[in-house]
Amino acid sequence: MIAVVCVDDRNGMLFHRRRQSQDRLLREDLLSRCPGRLWMNAYSAKLFTGHEVRLAVNEDFLSLAGPEEWCFVEDRPLAPHLDRLEGLVVYRWNRAYPADVHLDLDLSDFRLESGQDFPGSSHETITREIYRRTAVE
Amino acid sequence: MAKKKRKLTKRQKKQILSAIIFVLLAAFYLWQDLTAEVPEGPDIQASQSVQTEQGGQFGPADQTAADSRGVTLADIPDYSGDPWVELNNNEPEFEPTDYTVTSYEEYGALDGLGRCTTVMACIGRDLMPTEKRGDISSVRPTGWVQAQYDFVDGKALYNRCHLIGFQLTGENANDRNLITGTRYLNVDGMLPFENLVADYIKETGNHVMYRVTPVFDGDDLVAQGVQMEAASVEDSGEGVLYNVFCYNVQPGVEIDYATGESWLAK
Repeated sequence: MIAVVCVDDRNGMLFHRRRQSQDRLLREDLLSRCPGRLWMNAYSAKLFTGHEVRLAVNEDFLSLAGPEEWCFVEDRPLAPHLDRLEGLVVYRWNRAYPADVHLDLDLSDFRLESGQDFPGSSHETITREIYRRTAVE
Repeated sequence: MAKKKRKLTKRQKKQILSAIIFVLLAAFYLWQDLTAEVPEGPDIQASQSVQTEQGGQFGPADQTAADSRGVTLADIPDYSGDPWVELNNNEPEFEPTDYTVTSYEEYGALDGLGRCTTVMACIGRDLMPTEKRGDISSVRPTGWVQAQYDFVDGKALYNRCHLIGFQLTGENANDRNLITGTRYLNVDGMLPFENLVADYIKETGNHVMYRVTPVFDGDDLVAQGVQMEAASVEDSGEGVLYNVFCYNVQPGVEIDYATGESWLAK
């Protein structure tokens, strides 16, 4: 599976059980790039009103997503699923937010394949980074 | 030869009597003025109108209509390396009747020592600035004893620190909204929390109840820190909810909070 995360300047993801931020143009970018269905839980699904046909919503989505399927992850640790991760899409807010949950992956286990800046609907510049998992020896 | 006693004329007696009466009346009105009840500030709980208050209607200098519900230094853990700490399980203490979808901003009157007090707002897109920030150097908050340290970002120890950030309500040189705050308080403490609120409002168009209270120890001129509370309104806190205290410290620097003077930490 390919995990999609949104992080702040310090790889923070959540604060007080709530997402740090959201952006309509980020979601449009994500949906335009995601091949097939996008896995997520019910909390995240509320962001994608009007795009339900593209979604696969299940609280156990990280276990159910198949090879090369994309998962939008906001409030779950990813380290327990490292062995199933083929890649990462990291959206960076380029902002400082408070955080009490951070991305729990070491990005040195992944190879950066591409990076692209684009303007968000409420963020000046969002950076999209696409990573591939480096081969495990 | 003995001096002749001069008697007062009728006219002189009348003048003296008039002067006495005048003094008594003046004293009476002055006494009334001093003992009269000071009118209370606007009842923000009942307010349905947009208010942008910058002074004059907030009651006695030691009390505002937007007073925080009672954080004291005793409630705040000592600084232990993190720029902020959660209070009350990160739950703000707004009253149910505080919540509104009508934007407003209120800046409490300076207290008897010229220090800022609680500021409170319902922030919506309509309050956010449309111009770049202006010059605030005309404001000299209490305890403003600037010092330079090479290891501080920007070198200056103190910033004129907005209680409600400029990106939220566009206030510039408002002396009721600026305190002497360290660079660390401003950037590592408060700014991330302001960003969270600002970007939420920009994206959703919703409103956020927002209250910031500087906390002073006794008659100190520099605050120990600020309490920041926020709750998103239309989604009942699902988007934004926090209650934190940000420490007005600068790692590597000792501060005399009574005066604002500082020196290198040992």
